[in-house]
Amino acid sequence: MTFKHSCAIAALMAGLGPAAYAEDLNALIWCDHADPELLEPFETAHDVRVNVKEYEGTAAGLTLLEQSRPGDWDVMVIDAVDVGRAVERGFLAPLPEGTAPTADYFPEVLLEDHVTINGTTYAAVEKFGYNTVAYNKSAVDPADMTSLAALWSGKYDGRIAIYDYYLPVLGLVGLNAGVDTTDLDAAALETLRDPLMQLKAASKQVSDVVGSQTALATGEVDVLIGGGEWLTAVLNAENPDLDWTIPEEGGLLWAQSLAIVEGTEKPELAAEFIKYVTSPEGQARLATSSCYWGMPANKAAGDVLSDAQKDILRWDDQAEYLTRAQLYPVPDADTDAAMQDLWTDMLQN
Amino acid sequence: MSIEAQEKRQGVALVTPALLWTLVFFAVPFGAMALMSLAHLEGREIVQGHDLGNYLRIFTDPSLRRGIFVSLEITATVTVISVLLAWPLAWIIATRVPQRWRRMVLLLAVLPFWTSYVVRSYSWALVLGEKGVVMNALVGLGLLAEPVQIMATRAATVTGFVHFFVMLLTLTIYSNLIQLSPNYARAAQDLGASQWQVIRLVILPLTLPGVMTGAFLTFVLCIGDYITPQILGGNNELTLPQLIMLQLGRRGDYPMASALSIVLMAIVTLAYAASARWLKMERV
Amino acid sequence: MRYLSWVYLLALFTFILLPVVTLVVFSFQDGRLPVPPFKGVTFEWYAKVLSDRAMMEALFNSLIVALLSSLCALTLGFLAASGLARVILPGSALMRGALIAPMTVSYLIIALGLLQMFNQIGLRPSLLATGIGHVVINLPLCFAIIYAAIGEHQKSALKAARDLGAREWQVLWLVAAPMLMPSLAAAFFLAFTFSWDEFIIAFLLTRFDVTLPVEIWSMLRSGLSPETNAVGSLVFLVSIAIVVVLELTLFRKGSK
Repeated sequence: MTFKHSCAIAALMAGLGPAAYAEDLNALIWCDHADPELLEPFETAHDVRVNVKEYEGTAAGLTLLEQSRPGDWDVMVIDAVDVGRAVERGFLAPLPEGTAPTADYFPEVLLEDHVTINGTTYAAVEKFGYNTVAYNKSAVDPADMTSLAALWSGKYDGRIAIYDYYLPVLGLVGLNAGVDTTDLDAAALETLRDPLMQLKAASKQVSDVVGSQTALATGEVDVLIGGGEWLTAVLNAENPDLDWTIPEEGGLLWAQSLAIVEGTEKPELAAEFIKYVTSPEGQARLATSSCYWGMPANKAAGDVLSDAQKDILRWDDQAEYLTRAQLYPVPDADTDAAMQDLWTDMLQN
Repeated sequence: MSIEAQEKRQGVALVTPALLWTLVFFAVPFGAMALMSLAHLEGREIVQGHDLGNYLRIFTDPSLRRGIFVSLEITATVTVISVLLAWPLAWIIATRVPQRWRRMVLLLAVLPFWTSYVVRSYSWALVLGEKGVVMNALVGLGLLAEPVQIMATRAATVTGFVHFFVMLLTLTIYSNLIQLSPNYARAAQDLGASQWQVIRLVILPLTLPGVMTGAFLTFVLCIGDYITPQILGGNNELTLPQLIMLQLGRRGDYPMASALSIVLMAIVTLAYAASARWLKMERV
Repeated sequence: MRYLSWVYLLALFTFILLPVVTLVVFSFQDGRLPVPPFKGVTFEWYAKVLSDRAMMEALFNSLIVALLSSLCALTLGFLAASGLARVILPGSALMRGALIAPMTVSYLIIALGLLQMFNQIGLRPSLLATGIGHVVINLPLCFAIIYAAIGEHQKSALKAARDLGAREWQVLWLVAAPMLMPSLAAAFFLAFTFSWDEFIIAFLLTRFDVTLPVEIWSMLRSGLSPETNAVGSLVFLVSIAIVVVLELTLFRKGSK
């Protein structure tokens, strides 16, 4: 009886299965690329099905590639600062010239030093934003938030959440201690241990996107270090008091890029996908994804986005923000391991 | 060929597929993992080897070592609380609830089993938050002056776990209780025992095998779970499964993840050895 | 004492049902945050879930994996239980122990081992890999339930069938299976539930095609929304419907 019943359900569901496409494009992505609103126009236009797999953190992405065979993946989203790491291990294919409309880009986020290696371009930046301080302006004094030091002042003890990603938060702790992200090496890292532990002691939780949003939106915490527009934008309609700022010490600039994976059997289609995502329409959809918002790298997306959306993204403030933000730290393997060890120690204590 | 030999041959033929499956997809992978635990990560590459470096680190690195204790403490707390809550519940259902309501009450008791496991943990996050249902009610009724923090603490993790295991244990203890002949209790009462004495001296010892089996299952499932502490614990301390997933997800350190898994496995084996004399695993 | 019993019963039921009730109530929340205050009723989130392509595919995948893996575990467990119940083989106890062993191992460990083995032999993470893992965890369960159900009475009935000249497959299919139907159904049902709701094995062993728990997990990681409540409530409703149907048909006959 159960068997028959289940078969009936299965048969019913099979009828509702996905439409058939001529081809597949396999993409290793972050969650903001999973929206049907972003993928469907491309799928229809090219009669292709985009299969997406989310990953978290460059190390995990590279491990996934290592365990795959050539041809398993066609495109991937990768932190712009980590493109070098992936190229070094032979995972990325050169990007055909003219794939991304870089002439229309915000010049600060071209990041040629990072996506171009020995004269060959491997990736196109697609989206950027900031890891700084997000807060509930009805519960904290916005004036305090102009300095990172407020988080260590004791005034907000027990009302702070830490975003659970080691690179940006260690970067911010560094900025507060006067260490630029480019100088964040193993020796500098040891000096950050005490301030990091103090921050943990002053905080209520270390949480992922949803945990942080929940805590901030429900007033369980009032300040989130590591947060930014990408986290508060989707909650804007619900709680307009959620705000973010780049304090005087600076903030961290995150930039994600798209690249063709070496060994793909569909390099043209992969390039078409990158062309689509970096086009003004693709950029606007990506910027306002349901997972998180972020600034489009292509300025021309401004013509597609509504004024309200641009307000939330703080389109007009970007020039100033970009001069004050620093890129993510780019640790070598040993420093990266040391950073993760430090982060684990922080979580565990 | 003798009938007995033929019987044996057919018996073996019937068992073989299941044994083969267990060998190929359980024993062999386990061996592969044990081997991997002896390798190590050099830079970002896995270097095969056979040293005990990973194990040494687990017992010397304070953060990793603490993971073992965090896991043990949480699991022990959960197991004890769950048994203490579930036993009376099973007893009440078995003895106080009228026969015709029992199935209904039991079904109701396991109702939350039927929602998705991941969502169940998440729904506790909504209930236990400072603006959640519980705090709202307590403050609203004037029982609390202001909300206290439960979410993102060990208490939240324990609550989520206990919720699940009370359901599981109530079932195992209940099925144990209804198998007991009422004659035992009656005989004891005839001999002048009070109701409390009957429970303590007669019924409780008789349900020990069921309780121990359920408690062991609770132990195994609880110590190996990733979801509940990850969603409810607020990352303020890390259990072994969280440490394992951290090694996998963030660093791609398979050797260390494997070594931590072997340690987890060893703990469960020790627990099994300690409680084996009361367990009836084949009768679960 | 009597009075106290009912208070206790009520208190524990509140505890047990509280999260589920909250979950369902706030799946109707008219707003983005599934926490009090309740702002009004909307079906928006249900509509969203039902039109979510990835979610519906994951649901379908979960059904297929649960169905096939529990059938496979049931068959293997049934054969093994019949074999071991039939004759005393040398090493019987050892074989039983080996078959039960995976039950005492955390799912995470089973998943990690399989992941590494599959990597080495080049089997990519997929629903097939997940299904294999689910058979590993459900085989001991099916075996234990069926083995426990074969008592002296069943053994002699099987022996009689054989003595009357029935072939082995006939004994299994025409005598043993119908006789053990209640425990076969229970084993299948439990295995189906475990596979349906299993997270960590499916999380580590799938790639594009994921099962429902994995899809819900990635939804949970990507933003707070009553949509998660809606998915949970839907799964809940479907499960209850199945339980009620089973209760009205299968178990009613079986238990009385």
